Amino acid sequence: MDLSSNPSPSHPPTDDSSPPPEKRLASLSLRTSDLPPDFAPAGEIEEYGDDDDEEGYLTAVSRVGSISSSAAAWKDDVEDPDVAPPSPSSSGYAGERGTSLASSAGANDDPEPQPDDWPRDKKHLDEDDASASWRKRKKHFFILSNSGKPIYSRYGDEHKLAGFSATLQAIISFVENSGDHIKFVRAGKHQIVFLVKGPIYLVCISCTEESYEGLRGQLELMYGQMLLILTKSVNRCFEKNPKFDMAPLLGGTDTVFLSLIHAFSWNPATFLHAYTCLPLAQSTRQAASAVLQDIADSGVLFALLMCEHKVISLVGAQKATLHPDDIFLLANFILSSESFRTSESFSPICLPRYNSMAFLYAYVHFFDENTYLTLLTARSDAFYDLKDSRSRIQDVLLKANVLVEVQRSLRESALRIEDLPADPSSQSVSPPPQFSQDVHSQLLSSEMAIGGPAGLWHFVYKSIYLDQYVSSEFPLIISKPKQQKRLYKAYQKLYASMHDKATGPHKTQFRRDEDYVLFCWITQDFELYAAFNPLADKSQAIKVCNRVCQWIRDLENEIFVYGESTLSWHLGIEKP
Amino acid sequence: MASRRRMLLKVIILGDSGVGKTSLMNQYVNKKFSNQYKATIGADFLTKEVQIDDRLFTLQIWDTAGQERFQSLGVAFYRGADCCVLVYDVNVTKSFERLNSWREEFLIQASPSDPENFPFVVLGNKIDVDGGNSRTVSEKKAKAWCASKGNIPYFETSAKEGFNVEAAFECIARNAIKNEPEEEIYLPDTIDVGGAGRQQRSSGCEC
Repeated sequence: MDLSSNPSPSHPPTDDSSPPPEKRLASLSLRTSDLPPDFAPAGEIEEYGDDDDEEGYLTAVSRVGSISSSAAAWKDDVEDPDVAPPSPSSSGYAGERGTSLASSAGANDDPEPQPDDWPRDKKHLDEDDASASWRKRKKHFFILSNSGKPIYSRYGDEHKLAGFSATLQAIISFVENSGDHIKFVRAGKHQIVFLVKGPIYLVCISCTEESYEGLRGQLELMYGQMLLILTKSVNRCFEKNPKFDMAPLLGGTDTVFLSLIHAFSWNPATFLHAYTCLPLAQSTRQAASAVLQDIADSGVLFALLMCEHKVISLVGAQKATLHPDDIFLLANFILSSESFRTSESFSPICLPRYNSMAFLYAYVHFFDENTYLTLLTARSDAFYDLKDSRSRIQDVLLKANVLVEVQRSLRESALRIEDLPADPSSQSVSPPPQFSQDVHSQLLSSEMAIGGPAGLWHFVYKSIYLDQYVSSEFPLIISKPKQQKRLYKAYQKLYASMHDKATGPHKTQFRRDEDYVLFCWITQDFELYAAFNPLADKSQAIKVCNRVCQWIRDLENEIFVYGESTLSWHLGIEKP
Repeated sequence: MASRRRMLLKVIILGDSGVGKTSLMNQYVNKKFSNQYKATIGADFLTKEVQIDDRLFTLQIWDTAGQERFQSLGVAFYRGADCCVLVYDVNVTKSFERLNSWREEFLIQASPSDPENFPFVVLGNKIDVDGGNSRTVSEKKAKAWCASKGNIPYFETSAKEGFNVEAAFECIARNAIKNEPEEEIYLPDTIDVGGAGRQQRSSGCEC
């Protein structure tokens, strides 16, 4: 429910803005029936695992045409394993389900969410489009050629899905024949989103209630990941030979795509198009940046020091710039390929946003379990030079204690809502005394009742100039992976609606439902996405958001990569 | 270049409506036959795995509709085909006479790189009907036409009785492999950072 997007200029989200009573009333008079189904009660979803991996969903075929059942009833179908129709036939599948359930059973013990704790073996090669289990999957991804030959499928064996793949091509080509382009098809709860990239077709079939823009963005990243592995030169193979069977070229990269698809549900970088940094003391980061800069000056195009998905430092030669999506796709490629961890590697890769046509060479070395150095060069014979460079970098990092600090930061330096400093200006502002007292007591009681200040649960802050974001640690109330995924989905939706080309862009949005109050605030400097207790008061929430922004500004030297080493891909915008 | 990887072959089946294209497919893929005629709408897609000489193939079979009104789907359907199967009914002369236009239409729409050597297979279907008494196209006549078009392999089949169907499709697969281009080394350019242009080498896939 978009209650107050584009608020009148008289109510900017400032400390002393108190919405008129009508507005507050409006924001409380939500009817549940108006809520998008995604915002349905959270309750029962306890199992661990990708929620778009869960079974118990009726087949597309049987559902089409009987769409009218209410969202709530449908949710029950989906999430209550007792109600869910058992998967008939396919006996092989039943056995497999047993093993995969072992991990879901453990989930009720509340494991800490681990971004890298994703199901690597969930391809289900025995399935095809005739399997009931395959049809129940909540989110399918396909890549195929414009002759209908399968290239990749998230679930099932590509060759067994050759007929299905042909059907997808027929649909796309049929529309193209009439000089048009197919964007998406809605069939009941399912949305089928198409993306055509020259001779490569990408398709997502989803019943996860995600927006068209969101799913399309995910397909763009799938394509980017494919380019990172192969470059756009594959197009020439199709020009020379329309029968070209591309699937073998992607051999062995299944885990890269599985990890990417998993990231769609936990990594905000996939929809914010920004990267996040590991919090570090300024001096520590500077030590790392200085040595990387030395290397970059001696013929390396980009040097990145990262810890898991977080950037410690990154440096580019001369005017070379790195797009956040390239950083994300590169990190996903490296982190999902087990072999990078076991030895130093030299691999051709393509940075699609930098130059999609050609390869660079990546030297990758893991200093420890999660910290790794990537040196990118155009020279295919640079391995030994880069190995020497790495050794020099390693010496400096050890001497400056950087790797120890990185491990410490990984353990300790999360942004916790509880650490949000109290508002120093609250004393100095002088509203009518009566009001001030009101607010104060209300604030105190609400903090006691619902945890965070004014009920704040979580936030994501994106600096527009830096292309970087930070997010707070999840509180106890959003500690389960399912809950976190739901919140990210809500953020994604919020992001899509804020950036909607038809109705936006918007500056603020305040949304209330049974799960959260969501507040989004976009200025020319930053985007803030915050989730509050559903009972949170609007004016209090806005105040807290101001405090969050101030807090980020206070910490910016530690939580962002700054200075000369920062790369800007915005044309014509120079970094401070 | 006998790689061990599975190969996917796109096979298009063409011919007048009612000659038994769908029945042939059903017999081949599902070992089933039905006397009832159901017109194909647009196209049907079936998948069949075959093993030939220790090598696994997946046939992606495009069973197209014979009716004229679906001909507009041409380009989209024929693109990237590895083999084309032309089917006629030995009891219907017209369906045989139309083979030529089906073949030409395919070559125009699919525009394969080497049209002279593109693998076709011709099937004369329904040889079981009336014990062969209602036959109007002789085997000799059909073979002569096939020979004139670059020695297209010819099979007489009965989808109803499953006669020769397996052999015909095996030939289809073998033909498709014969036409398989040599395995190429995938070698994209490397970014040229120093020079003026970004591309260093000229071509992508060098064979």
